[in-house]
Amino acid sequence: MSKTFKVRVNGQHELTVDPSAGSLLEAMEAAGIETRFHCRDGFCGACRTKVNSGDIEYINEPLAIVRPGDCLACCCIPASDLDIDH
Amino acid sequence: MSYSTFNKNQINPLQEPMFFGNSVNVARYDQQKHSVFEKLIEKQISFFWRPEEVDVSRDRVDFQGLTDSEKHIFISNLKYQTLLDSVQGRSPNIALLPIVSIPELETWIETWSFFETIHSRSYTHILRNLFTDPSQVFEDIVINEEIQKRANDISKYYDDLIFYTQLWQTHGEGEVEVNGEVHNVTMRELKKKLFLCINSVNALEAIRFYVSFACTFAFAERDLMEGNSKIIRLIARDENLHLVSTQNILNLWQYGKDDPEMKEIAEELREEALAIFMKAVEQEKEWAHYLFRHGSMIGLNEDILCQYVEYIANMRMEAIGFDAPFKQRSNPLPWMNKYLVSDNVQVAPQEAEITSYLVGQIDSSVSASDLGDFEL
Repeated sequence: MSKTFKVRVNGQHELTVDPSAGSLLEAMEAAGIETRFHCRDGFCGACRTKVNSGDIEYINEPLAIVRPGDCLACCCIPASDLDIDH
Repeated sequence: MSYSTFNKNQINPLQEPMFFGNSVNVARYDQQKHSVFEKLIEKQISFFWRPEEVDVSRDRVDFQGLTDSEKHIFISNLKYQTLLDSVQGRSPNIALLPIVSIPELETWIETWSFFETIHSRSYTHILRNLFTDPSQVFEDIVINEEIQKRANDISKYYDDLIFYTQLWQTHGEGEVEVNGEVHNVTMRELKKKLFLCINSVNALEAIRFYVSFACTFAFAERDLMEGNSKIIRLIARDENLHLVSTQNILNLWQYGKDDPEMKEIAEELREEALAIFMKAVEQEKEWAHYLFRHGSMIGLNEDILCQYVEYIANMRMEAIGFDAPFKQRSNPLPWMNKYLVSDNVQVAPQEAEITSYLVGQIDSSVSASDLGDFEL
């Protein structure tokens, strides 16, 4: 099994995420967290998520604008333990 | 400064701002100042579709079975969308092409507008199928007061920018008298008009379309007007890309990654930009009120639609650096998302009606992780 990371969402959910299992958005959905999304392909920006601490890595390069401190959950995976607001 | 279709000066497009620099001469895409526009062009072209590919013949039977209030909702939405795409099919070209200064953005604007014309053609395709003579529907678009109210706010920023650009191109900077009215044409003033125009277009692409989309997909949720819904799905996917381009332009300005004067203007006109967005939100809520004035439809009413406008406005405003102004943080219409998902997996290219049919999407890149489970 590959390395997993701890992801804290909205200051209340603690997830253990396997980056090889899918995107951050899919990990939040699997944990039953209400998510925002439209295209799931990195071009609409609906899944914009604030990264309070930690690093992410894009599995597909996003087309939508990603402002500093944000990430697009549909096309990224954790690269370290994370604290995010979605 | 008159426009030249081929600027003979030697210019370096990598040093030019997005707008109001030297006009573009060579359409070259081997180097890009802002590569996002080149990527948008590629993505948009891969989305190419034709309205005639979508079979809407069953919609005519469905339409006859709708109640009068549902017919009102359906037709009013089509009228409003026809207006929006009529404006968008020409205005980016007319307003922005004369002032654009980098080739990838110039081509993006043309690609963007071209796709809006596909949308306009698809409304004719839908209406021609529903009515033997759709003239009455088209003719009402210019006289319907509810549509008129919006049309004014949608077109005025474009018109203002176009008029001042024309004055600038023929007379240069300075005071110009036209029909007894004196206009002070300065580069700063032109850039301000451009900034407000892009904000207005951004609001249009961000929320104005979504009230109509919600109604269309609400019909589809009841297995009604499915041909129409397939078309609107394709349109919604395109509009998402268009929105990304205006969000990118606004953010590039705000972060000072383009024209430094536009950064100042973005700060100076922040409140006005906010007001443009909030007015669009209010107008869409009024539109929801107009749509449901004869009664609701199953699965959707005025209140829920207004909540959806607020939900989506929050997301859109955060994307351009404003705080979310509304309390609505959860999605009141969760089923909308399934129509807005872009199927990026190629399954059966011969099925022309499915949105997963993308042109030129063979991906030959292989990363090391793809072979992670591979053992000899």
